[in-house]
Amino acid sequence: MLNCKQVATLASDYLDNNTSLRWQIRLHLLMCANCRRFIRHLQITRDVGARMAINEPGADAEAVWNKVQTRIKKEAQPDQE
Amino acid sequence: MASVKLAQINLHDSHEFNTSSPMTQSPPASLEDKVPYPLLKNKGPHSGTGPADESELIARLAKGDDRAFRQVIAQHHSLMLSIARAIVGDTFADDVVQEAWVCVYNNVANFEQRSSLKTWLVTIVSNQAKTRLRKESRQVSLDQLDGEVSGSYLDGVHFKTDGHWQQAVPQWSVESPDALLEEQQLQSCINRTLTLLPPAQKAAFILRDIEQQSFEDICHILAVSAANVRVLVHRARLTLMQVIDRYQETGSC
Repeated sequence: MLNCKQVATLASDYLDNNTSLRWQIRLHLLMCANCRRFIRHLQITRDVGARMAINEPGADAEAVWNKVQTRIKKEAQPDQE
Repeated sequence: MASVKLAQINLHDSHEFNTSSPMTQSPPASLEDKVPYPLLKNKGPHSGTGPADESELIARLAKGDDRAFRQVIAQHHSLMLSIARAIVGDTFADDVVQEAWVCVYNNVANFEQRSSLKTWLVTIVSNQAKTRLRKESRQVSLDQLDGEVSGSYLDGVHFKTDGHWQQAVPQWSVESPDALLEEQQLQSCINRTLTLLPPAQKAAFILRDIEQQSFEDICHILAVSAANVRVLVHRARLTLMQVIDRYQETGSC
């Protein structure tokens, strides 16, 4: 019989269909409201994450491109234009 | 085990969520139109920005068009940096991504578009990073994998010695992903948390949950075992879940 900590550890594998302990987990979930809530929240988190608009500070394309160009010129052989 | 598709589970009193297997190559159709992240889903040349746009862009790159390069860098540099950081660590990541861009510049004329441009870029940066890792010949990356993050759900504080929950798992008053996604403050909390994740976790999470890549592909891209990818993704999700826990409780983060 799995305990709650084991179920919490396996929760993503369960949601992603990546565990062979699926039925043991289901058995635990039948009896444990806390773990049901935990897995439900994890699933919501996964859904929210999947649909998040990621706002990373955008790369400074200009600066990166300048560095890349410098490298390209450095690597270019004299007989290549 | 990946091929075994089990019956839909229902954990819910009132909600049902899509639990279709993410191990299948293409994401469920329902995901296609609900992901705002602009770089998504163009795993093949016939999706995402559209084959015509992408072919045209690649043609411009092949001609050495400066503006096309700036555009592609602006779109994909962050993703490439996340992958490089996960593999070689912060110290070398910038350098590796620049090398990758040089490689793109030198080879784009020969790119046959059997994959999307993004997939090609990811492959290049992954290979460059792995090469660099071998060159540096020390374990600079993925050290987060072994370290347990204190305060995490799995650190033991949340459980009694018999493995039962120490306290009840907190209730959420809002359980609809749609409603949660509308909360601006939560969005910025999650975004900030994502940028603070350890690099390997962040890359695994972005590739799996946002880019919807298969676990198998992520293993190759990040050069880690399948088991480790799963651990990384799980930890990232747990961290984000705690952000939502806190938000539900306090209305802030």
